[in-house]
Amino acid sequence: MTKTYSLTLTIKRYDPDRSARWFQTYRLDSGPILRFVDLFRRINVEQDATLAWASSCEHAQCGSCSVNVNGRPMLACELLVENAVTLFGTTVFKIAPVSVAPVIRDLVVDWEKAYERVHRAKPYLIKPKELPPGMTEHRISPQELARYEEATRCINCFCCAEACISGNRTFIGPNAAMAGIVRMMDSREKEKEERLDLLYSEEGIYRCHTSKACSHVCPKQIDVAHFIALAKEGAF
Amino acid sequence: MKVPEESQGIGAALLPILEKLPVLSRYAKTRGWYYVISWLHRVTGIGLVIALMVHMVTLWSWQTPNVYYTGMNIPARPFFVFLAWILSLFVSFHALNGGRLILYELFGMRGDETMIRWTFGLSAAYAAMVGLLVILKNQRMSAFFFWLMMFFAGAVTAYVVDSRTARGRHSLFWKLQRISGSFLFITMPAYLLFAYLNPGLADGAQTVVVRLQNAFVRVVTLALAVSALYHAGYGLFSIMADYASSRTLRAGVTALIAVVIAVLTVLAFRLILSV
Repeated sequence: MTKTYSLTLTIKRYDPDRSARWFQTYRLDSGPILRFVDLFRRINVEQDATLAWASSCEHAQCGSCSVNVNGRPMLACELLVENAVTLFGTTVFKIAPVSVAPVIRDLVVDWEKAYERVHRAKPYLIKPKELPPGMTEHRISPQELARYEEATRCINCFCCAEACISGNRTFIGPNAAMAGIVRMMDSREKEKEERLDLLYSEEGIYRCHTSKACSHVCPKQIDVAHFIALAKEGAF
Repeated sequence: MKVPEESQGIGAALLPILEKLPVLSRYAKTRGWYYVISWLHRVTGIGLVIALMVHMVTLWSWQTPNVYYTGMNIPARPFFVFLAWILSLFVSFHALNGGRLILYELFGMRGDETMIRWTFGLSAAYAAMVGLLVILKNQRMSAFFFWLMMFFAGAVTAYVVDSRTARGRHSLFWKLQRISGSFLFITMPAYLLFAYLNPGLADGAQTVVVRLQNAFVRVVTLALAVSALYHAGYGLFSIMADYASSRTLRAGVTALIAVVIAVLTVLAFRLILSV
């Protein structure tokens, strides 16, 4: 027989029309393998159609459903009820939007604002190397790729930036810093100076204090702190 | 999805203890153990800055032998002896954890869980050693010999870190923070230890004067004071820079920190050179 949990979800609400902020509590019974996005959807259908939340792929690939669950930034689309109960040891959850970007309504934040940091880190090849003579593509050896392949799993959900001890006022953020670092590790990239200028600025790696909260909360299990430490080590 | 819980390493051993503490448990669960340790590093750092300021201002106000003699009765009281012992815990934890961070960031040592165990283990061992010396009160060591050893060890550690930071294009201030930190890693616990190795000596102003008149001890004391003040100043700046997003506020607080550190540096020079 499937186990049923009696859940209490206290959600931080925000109404931009009235500039009002408040906490609202919802109680619902749930099976163990419902995800938190499923709970939000059920609240919309059964209790409160006005609750706003965001999601897109719902397969932990787009990062648009990041929220704080009992103070821990997580993807609502991959957090199962039974995993949440195991992790926090309770069926009472306080859910708030992430603080890396301004809140638009309830749990929905302005991701474009958050993405501005990543855009500044230019997560693409700025100046690709010329193709070797007679070749139609660049070749990267498996050994070379293994050094940074883990970092390419980043989906920019900003959970790391949310958890960081430096906060997100003055630090470009772990994911944006890593986006620059991983491109420097890519042998196809020629441009390094521009990336180093950002990394070694006051909003770059000097704001990282190696609290490793980024690695702890990353839904993709990327050791973000390791990549930032490579820049501190002077590996580039 | 992998169940996000601490199932191995330091979490397995220490998380059950942390879970019983009301404030720490929340952060250990939501941000991880290293986050809690980072906050402990900050808290102990701020505590040490306050202790350093109190120490320097107190010594500055006790410059005449009579005042010094009367004043030294205060730290001999049990409450202050206990506070000094707590300070040894702060010093050892901050130094060892700082050492761990330097090894992680600059030397590529990612075996953090082992290093954390060493940090806590050695902190406890150092505090126990200081506690033993406080109780015994009968240990003596030559100031010159002690500081020769410690200065040499501190200078070598600082040189190794300096040669490592040369690889990156880091800012000079950031590099100096790591270099001063590695020097203090050895010399600051040594400074505290020395007070308990020679408990009788600290009581007599004349003995302190004689000790500081030795040129080498004077140079070492100056190097220690300058390193500690720089490290304190940059540490405070670094914490402030995480929170102050306004350029004006940041510039204002930076200037304030710089002035306070400069005043204390002048005070340290005058105090040490006037002996």
